[in-house]
Amino acid sequence: MSEALLQVRGLTRDYRLIKKREGVSGGLIDLVRPRRELLRAVDDVSFEIPAGEMVGYIGANGAGKSTTLKMLTGILTPTSGEVTVGGLVPWRERVQYTRHIGAVFGQRTQLWWDLAVVESFRLLQKIYEVDEQTYQRQMGIFDDLLDIGDYLHQPVRKLSLGQRMRCDLAAALLHRPRVLFLDEPTIGLDVVAKENVRQFLREIRERDGVTIILTTHDIGDIEQLCRRVIIIDKGRVHFDGELEDLRRRVGQKVRLTVDLRDTATSAELAATTGDLPVRWTSGEGRRHQAEFNRSEVPGAEVIKRLVNGAHVLDLSLAEQPIEEVVRDIYRQQGRPTP
Amino acid sequence: MSETTTSRLAPWRRSAAGSVGLYSYFVRLAFLKFLAYRLRYYTGVVSYTIFVTGHYYIYSALFASAVADSPDGLVGGLTLPEMITYVAVSWIGRSFYFNNIARELSRQIQEGEIAVLLIKPFHVQTVMMFEAIGESGFRLLMFTLPIMVVIVPLFRIQGPPEPMLYLWTFVSFCLALVIYSQFNFLLGCLAFGMKNIQGVMRAKMVSMDFLTGVVVPFTFFPLWFQHLMDWLPFQYVSYIPVTIYLGKHQGPDLARVLLVQLAWSVALFVAGRFVWQRSVRNVIVQGG
Ligand SMILES: Nc1ncnc2c1ncn2[C@@H]1O[C@H](COP(=O)(O)OP(=O)(O)O)[C@@H](O)[C@H]1O
Ligand SMILES: [Mg+2]
Repeated sequence: MSEALLQVRGLTRDYRLIKKREGVSGGLIDLVRPRRELLRAVDDVSFEIPAGEMVGYIGANGAGKSTTLKMLTGILTPTSGEVTVGGLVPWRERVQYTRHIGAVFGQRTQLWWDLAVVESFRLLQKIYEVDEQTYQRQMGIFDDLLDIGDYLHQPVRKLSLGQRMRCDLAAALLHRPRVLFLDEPTIGLDVVAKENVRQFLREIRERDGVTIILTTHDIGDIEQLCRRVIIIDKGRVHFDGELEDLRRRVGQKVRLTVDLRDTATSAELAATTGDLPVRWTSGEGRRHQAEFNRSEVPGAEVIKRLVNGAHVLDLSLAEQPIEEVVRDIYRQQGRPTP
Repeated sequence: MSETTTSRLAPWRRSAAGSVGLYSYFVRLAFLKFLAYRLRYYTGVVSYTIFVTGHYYIYSALFASAVADSPDGLVGGLTLPEMITYVAVSWIGRSFYFNNIARELSRQIQEGEIAVLLIKPFHVQTVMMFEAIGESGFRLLMFTLPIMVVIVPLFRIQGPPEPMLYLWTFVSFCLALVIYSQFNFLLGCLAFGMKNIQGVMRAKMVSMDFLTGVVVPFTFFPLWFQHLMDWLPFQYVSYIPVTIYLGKHQGPDLARVLLVQLAWSVALFVAGRFVWQRSVRNVIVQGG
């Protein structure tokens, strides 16, 4: 086993903020002696990513995702800590390094706004010294997977957001980079466009073995794309591991919905499950909901008691959505990550 | 180990041919970009003509009243026809070297767009230099030439004393383009450190044409001012190329001013590279 392609150790970044005082006199004092404050946006982050992996870097707004990505792409210098990608330090060997990476920053396009899309691709071909054969092959793949052929000759400013995102993804991959950084690649896209992007990422990873790191706060992205997730909050890593482990760690919470023939109160239903660790969360009349943890009680047991104690017409079990899993992780702050 | 599984990134350098291909493509793209907005420049031809016409009447009136006190017919070291030529050539030159790099760069820095340039394997400064060349190529064809066609016959602008000076004036304006764009690049870099750069940009807009000698020839100013300007690059943007055209620099003096101009071009480029690299190290790219 060779060393990981991407190695991050103790990565930390502070932003200097000027804290405003209140009122007119405060404003005047600010002019003379601004009150500076440090904000630690990324705090002692460490992880390793082997070649070919697709990792979801997730967290709420302001968690420090973009800041981390900016340091990994070499456009922001960290306050302290180390990053090496394939032996290169991103912000130190920027020109060398950026030859090997691709990046898409959310809504910010890297296509030349006033020009036809194809002009941007021809320029990228020159920027990365992509030979004509590779260029044609890559463009063929992009047209197959992303259908960008139809609007290659339109100016970028005339494209819809979804069309532009597809072009931007293609643009980030034209030179067959080893690592692809995506900062919120599905933000603002409608359901169909999101699905297109996800499908494309899956295929391109299988085809090229490109290592992908994507930040998102869209849980759908993670569930469909990443086996491994890194959860960050207030600049610190709270979880780093497989998505399945994450579910296990916060327990396998299940939500049970029952439809009854007759109306009942929550208390009456709670009586049927008795001493089992089941929490009846909401409901009145004929529909009720409960939550329990599979690791604490088997689902069959809960259902058996319920069916014995009440006249159940229908019932369904649902996994806890990952949003809530992440929220639970946030709540467990202070516990060390495995 | 295959290319995709090794954990090292292969060393890479753009070949010389690749550099030529890339930078000439930037020239081409800039040219095309401005071509898309060419209508804007037709109104530019009209406004430049109005400027020059205004100056024509001002200087004609000025000479009519001042020449009485000046037995050799010179005001500010120039005859009236020279003065009119000065005005015309300096505006014609300006139509060629002008660009908005400072504003464009500072906008990109402040809006965080600079990020998409920083993740590309090229030197942003060099790219902007070649874009400026492409822009000026466009301006030369679509702006400078139309202006010349209008102004030269309209005010019966004289040629230089020697035909060779056409060439040297053009060379000098090309160096002016380098100086002007590199100065603008440096100014744009200020946006890395300043929250609000609009004030600087406005100050630049007002003072630039004055400092380069487009508005009034330096010979109208007090000596101390002229000496001060000798130590700064601004006069090499307009005053020097225009006085080359007027035949004010002959033989070794001509070679000297062109060499100094070249030195300023190189110095500003190097300074730009230095400032850029320092700023990028401390850069805070705005926005997520
Ligand atoms: N240029 C900046 N100057 C000051 N503070 C910043 C800057 N960029 C981000 N921050 C702050 O750093 C924290 C992390 O931001 P960011 O990395 O953009 O989070 P995310 O991408 O996860 O939403 C936030 O609190 C944000 O306000
Ligand atoms: Mg962000």
